[in-house]
Amino acid sequence: MEIELRLYGSSKILSDKDALKIELPNNSNIEQLREILSKIISKKHSKSNLKNLSKTAAFFSDKNEVVNDNYRLKDKESISIIPPIGGG
Amino acid sequence: MTLHITLVKIEETKISSDKAKKFIASEKNGAECIFVGKVRNENAGKKVTGVTYDAHDQAVIKSFQSICNNAKDKFDKNAKIFLEHVKGYAPVGEISILIAVGSGHRDEAFKICRYILEEVKHGSPIWKKEHYTDGKEEWLPGHSLRPKKEIKL
Repeated sequence: MEIELRLYGSSKILSDKDALKIELPNNSNIEQLREILSKIISKKHSKSNLKNLSKTAAFFSDKNEVVNDNYRLKDKESISIIPPIGGG
Repeated sequence: MTLHITLVKIEETKISSDKAKKFIASEKNGAECIFVGKVRNENAGKKVTGVTYDAHDQAVIKSFQSICNNAKDKFDKNAKIFLEHVKGYAPVGEISILIAVGSGHRDEAFKICRYILEEVKHGSPIWKKEHYTDGKEEWLPGHSLRPKKEIKL
């Protein structure tokens, strides 16, 4: 299945676009998404400061709430990656 | 209306302290407290030219509402609160956040202002990318919204 990962903050380094399409096995959850993300970062962005992003990021569902690692993703689902925040 | 919250797209408009003062004005106020956060020209020894603010718009508005309502519940239900934060590129000197509070007494006004600022920094999905005089740029580290006990670095 494929999901759309909407990018914010430092995760925008992962693509020139606002979102990244990611292939995952059916019925994957957030924990598996973290693993795939970690691989993408080590392959293509090892020189960036994204090393810990797959562990420190939270994820928002379309209800704009943090979902936990057991959250099951659906095919074509759009989910937001929320790197560590710090406005003001 | 006692609450004004906005994420200001800086290409379209700027944060106005006059607008904030007008919003919180009331004869019931014994105290008005205004906090203005600005982009400064230096951070950690690096010369800064500006900051790009990114935000998850819907979640930011939701968090602003929750933070301000909590502040009112905690300190003064009748307080008038104005909260704006920018999104987009802000050069040095530009206002990045403005919090204005009108309240019956100074203690509540100060406390609400400080409470909102700290909660926004720790709970609103906003990110900063600094731009430096040497042409480099960097996303700043921040506070993770993932529960601490789950993070194993």
